[in-house]
Amino acid sequence: MSTKVAAEVTGVVWRVEKSVGDVVNAGDVLLILESMKMELPLEAPIGGKIAEIRCKEGQSVSEGDVLVILA
Amino acid sequence: MTWQPEIDELHQREQLARRMGGEEKVARHHAQGRLTVRERIEALLDPGTFHEVGALAGSAEYTEGRLAAFRPANFVMGTGAIAGQKVVVGGDDFTVRGGAADASVVGKQIYAEQLANSLQIPMVRLVDGTGGGGSVKLLEQHGYTYVPANPGWDYVVDNLSLVPVAAACLGSVAGLGAARLVASHLSVMVAGTAQLFVAGPPVVKFGMGEDLTKEELGGADIHQNSGAVDVIVQNEQEAFVQIRRFLSYLPPNVFHLPPVQPSEDPVDRRDEYLLAAIPRNRRQPYRIRPILAALFDAGSVFELARYGRATVTALARLDGHPVGVVAADPFVGGGGLTVEGAEAMIRLVDLCETFHLPIVTLTDQPGLVIGRGAERRGTIRYGVRAVAAVYQATVPAAEVIIRRVFGVGGAGMTNRHRFVQRYAWPSADWGSLPIEGGLEVAYRSELEASADPAALAEEIRARLDAVRSPFRTAEHFGIEEIIDPRDTRPLLCDWVHDAYRLLPDQPGRPTHGTRP
Repeated sequence: MSTKVAAEVTGVVWRVEKSVGDVVNAGDVLLILESMKMELPLEAPIGGKIAEIRCKEGQSVSEGDVLVILA
Repeated sequence: MTWQPEIDELHQREQLARRMGGEEKVARHHAQGRLTVRERIEALLDPGTFHEVGALAGSAEYTEGRLAAFRPANFVMGTGAIAGQKVVVGGDDFTVRGGAADASVVGKQIYAEQLANSLQIPMVRLVDGTGGGGSVKLLEQHGYTYVPANPGWDYVVDNLSLVPVAAACLGSVAGLGAARLVASHLSVMVAGTAQLFVAGPPVVKFGMGEDLTKEELGGADIHQNSGAVDVIVQNEQEAFVQIRRFLSYLPPNVFHLPPVQPSEDPVDRRDEYLLAAIPRNRRQPYRIRPILAALFDAGSVFELARYGRATVTALARLDGHPVGVVAADPFVGGGGLTVEGAEAMIRLVDLCETFHLPIVTLTDQPGLVIGRGAERRGTIRYGVRAVAAVYQATVPAAEVIIRRVFGVGGAGMTNRHRFVQRYAWPSADWGSLPIEGGLEVAYRSELEASADPAALAEEIRARLDAVRSPFRTAEHFGIEEIIDPRDTRPLLCDWVHDAYRLLPDQPGRPTHGTRP
């Protein structure tokens, strides 16, 4: 049962805070997006282990793009 | 000889009506985690205040001239009190033929709306099932069909400009029921046991080929952000609590001012938290809700339209006086104005204009959102519609600029062409365009011609930063007052008295009809 975590806004991936394999709790910051000149954290909606990170720092992403998969 | 026999028959018939769809149907309803319509009405109203109208309406069967069986109409209505204020309440009875029109008496629904409209008291609809919608079985029963008309809709629409209308979605609601839910100032939905759709899964499968469950088609997940539902709750009791709470901010009709309550929260409360609430780093977002809690009367912030997301709208109180609140949540896309945010803002402004609530805007607005996705959705049109709503509002307004004011969106957060009681925090940062991004556009030719564009950009940035302080704006009286954030609540509590003094002596209907 995996959870897809998508970008809530169009922007640029500014910093990836976690790595594949990390165990996170609900609310932990997975990465930070830059949009409208603000640093916006993308939080884990539930706890789990990071199975995939589908983006890298500096990459442009659109609202709805799946960025992280939690297992 | 008295009329006692007829009184006895009256009580007998009322007893039959109270059985609703019968024990078995009621038990099945309960098993699904749902209350009966009579239990809902009881839970909503002040105890013992329900006065039913039309209890005797329904289908009767007679044997040898005597009443043999009675199936009540599947709509229960009447008047009652909510915190002492008389209201009209009407609810669909799902235990009687699933709440469909062929079993209901449409007259009761129309009468309920007429009653609210004529007595000029709030209307509460407890919607379940199709809420009085039609069924194709009627064709055979009657031997003809008809051009549909939404029953009582002249009153339903007019009520929106006259009295507070609140509605709860308490089951699988479709068609006319769905329409009656959203033709309201507040629509509440129960997650899990209720769904909302234009038509349910069987019709959708047949017409569109989409094969979905009720939850997938119109459950809480769908309506979290759809814009059709203002508040989603976790159980039916909570729905009634929210409706009661919503009504407590509003007058019973547009001919009265909002009810002022005594407040226990001191007007001179100065929260130390506010001094550091806005981060010094311009790129860092902050949580807006603790700021709302610090400014408004304790426990009084009642959020509406969560689908607004980046734009936070609420009702609240200042020194016991109801007000409307517009603010931004910078965690959502930087707080920029989106289509949803604009819709939420318009809904709040129109609600306040209709019921005479002064509006407080906490401005942190980087502007309308940009980018192709935003353009595709026509963000400029919706954003400007929100600004038009703000400019058309006549209720007294106050603004506290807590951070950014940029662009058409920032400019349009309040009516800058009439008096608005305005304060700015030291964290305020404003202009037509922000320096970040604006610099690269305005000095493009200089930067392109330079041998070291990065160094030149830094130099220009330093020059611009030197003049961006709000104190410089204040020197030119471009802002009337810069305040210590901790003084905000006392100042707003003082302003609200001015605002209420300015409300009309004879309040009335809004100049343009209120739309849901």
